[in-house]
Amino acid sequence: MNMVSLDKKKFGSFILELSAEHAVYAPGKAGGKTEFIPVESEDEIDLKTLVTDLSPKGVFFPHSEVLYEYDKEGIRVPQKEAGKPIAVWGMRGCDARSLLMLNKVFGSAIQMPDNKNFQDPYWKEKYDNSVIFGTGCNEPLSTCFCNWFEAGPHSSAGMDVFVVDAGNSFLLEPVTDKGRAVLDKLSCFTDSTEEDKTTAAELASEALDGMAEPMEVNGLGEMLNNKYDEPVWDQISAKCINCGACTFSCPTCHCYDIQDEGKGSSGKRIRIWDSCMFPIFTMEASGHNPRALSSQRVRQRVMHKYSYFPEKYGEFLCTGCGRCVTVCPVNLDIREVLKTINEYKKQGITNG
Amino acid sequence: MNTTDNLRKTIKTLISEKKVDLFLGWEKGSLPLSATPLFVTTGEQAERAIFDVTCGNNLSIYFTKDKKQYANKKVGIAVKGCDARSVVLNILEKQIKREDVVIVGVPCNGVLDKKKVLAATEGREVLELVDNGDTVTVKGKGFELSLNRQEILSSSCLACIYPDAQEYDFFMGEARGEVPNEERVKEIIDFQNLPDSDRWEQTRAEYQKCIRCYACRNVCPSCYCNVCFVDQNDPKWIGSTCEYTDSVIFHVIRNLHVAGRCVECGACERACPMDINLLMMNRKVAMEVKDRFGDVAGLDINGKPAMSDFKEDEKQKFIMG
Repeated sequence: MNMVSLDKKKFGSFILELSAEHAVYAPGKAGGKTEFIPVESEDEIDLKTLVTDLSPKGVFFPHSEVLYEYDKEGIRVPQKEAGKPIAVWGMRGCDARSLLMLNKVFGSAIQMPDNKNFQDPYWKEKYDNSVIFGTGCNEPLSTCFCNWFEAGPHSSAGMDVFVVDAGNSFLLEPVTDKGRAVLDKLSCFTDSTEEDKTTAAELASEALDGMAEPMEVNGLGEMLNNKYDEPVWDQISAKCINCGACTFSCPTCHCYDIQDEGKGSSGKRIRIWDSCMFPIFTMEASGHNPRALSSQRVRQRVMHKYSYFPEKYGEFLCTGCGRCVTVCPVNLDIREVLKTINEYKKQGITNG
Repeated sequence: MNTTDNLRKTIKTLISEKKVDLFLGWEKGSLPLSATPLFVTTGEQAERAIFDVTCGNNLSIYFTKDKKQYANKKVGIAVKGCDARSVVLNILEKQIKREDVVIVGVPCNGVLDKKKVLAATEGREVLELVDNGDTVTVKGKGFELSLNRQEILSSSCLACIYPDAQEYDFFMGEARGEVPNEERVKEIIDFQNLPDSDRWEQTRAEYQKCIRCYACRNVCPSCYCNVCFVDQNDPKWIGSTCEYTDSVIFHVIRNLHVAGRCVECGACERACPMDINLLMMNRKVAMEVKDRFGDVAGLDINGKPAMSDFKEDEKQKFIMG
């Protein structure tokens, strides 16, 4: 099957059909904000929002996830998603790429040098069985910078089916065999025309042209390593208040804490999102904290994304979705941070 | 001379005359709806200072960051009325010394709440903002709107009584004086009058949104404990999940911990990435404190914070029932 066309009038029946065998998630309103929520009908889906307030990482890696419960009878692992595989509609290129990165960590998608390939069963159960319908962005926001990272508003990496919003219809193109198999089982499509293909290509190039000039990121990791000890970190972190708004809204941040909640002889073990912005993140039992200062924690976040992760996994841990830029209470803009560090000492700039 | 020019000139003078080592102000941010904190140490940097409807940050948080990073430094700070109360509170609570701070008041007509602007543009991205005083013009791809200032102000500003710094060394322009605000407690009274079950439902719905990022706590100038109760893990006081049972406890304890200390600046609510109505509870507590102890946090530099003081004639309902 090649590209097919879905009339927007038939979108409702498409979602119903998809729901028959899948737990469908799509952008929708939850408490006033947009995030990926379980949906059963077209009405619950927000087709307008480009970058949801919360990223879809929570679908596969929830904020708080019970790993197991225990009591005197034994240990139980909670049942997941009533057995249905997950289908996500409307994931943008930045978010679909973030899942590929998370899969390197949790799904061991690449071979580690020591052959110790850890596979996280909670992640794999959800992610491996999922099918991702991703949508190209026709009008990227001013905060979007996906074009910095060999991707762009119409990147289909990490998707099983790539969708182009062509006005009155969606154009769906299978990216993986899994995506092709799911599309084969669904009806409500018509064949695409040559004109559709031209439209898709035009929308892709217009979207990319509408974005600001990207920063050169080749050699970014090395540049950061070279400036690890420079006072520039004090300068850029001065305004940071070390909350977790950036890391919690980030589609790629994946650090977590494991906590036990018990009472008497029963209890549960829970995995909870954690943030390198919090002082307690690195607090040691002795009371010593290797990252006691704000500047050390800001540096860690930047280094992990643009130096350590690429060193280990071969790509930046950032997809340019811009959520951290939008959400930061003090407007600490990661794009400016990288530019400032890059420029530091290059032209004798030592004071911002 | 407008406020921004006046402010720049004052900062420059303070720096050049070595009255301060550092000045905390605001500059234009990377996004049209957000100014960003500015740390001035040179006259050149002072040229970047601004004050307008986007300057929502309460800069006094920086006094207590990283264990009083500015100890032994003279620091100047630009303050709105609410921010000035935070500085005073920091002084009364012995976090900073009055003689080490140069307080520069700015005439404030309220700061914007991003979510209200986005509601007005129906979610369309704003690419440019111009503060005209009574109106604010926002522009984006294919639209330009002139918004009534009142329509986009932070809820803290709509309920504000003291827009001017009560304690200052310099004031940039004309003070507005106290703003009589009869309507300010309406939301709280309405909420109070609801049946218990409805109040609980509303509270639960609000705090259920919480993702525990602690942006509210970290932008709060009154939240500066060396180790916050949520970070204590030996023993652990409360759970860290985003179940409302955990989140409600976090928010309620925080409310009570800032009782008599919250200056109602609204920084918490503007910082919240999940748009939780955080301020109403804080304002309710402030209302109780005023009623019982006659104290308004940070208003009187010669006063004592309500929770650090005891008067024989104060209402003791909470003890006597």
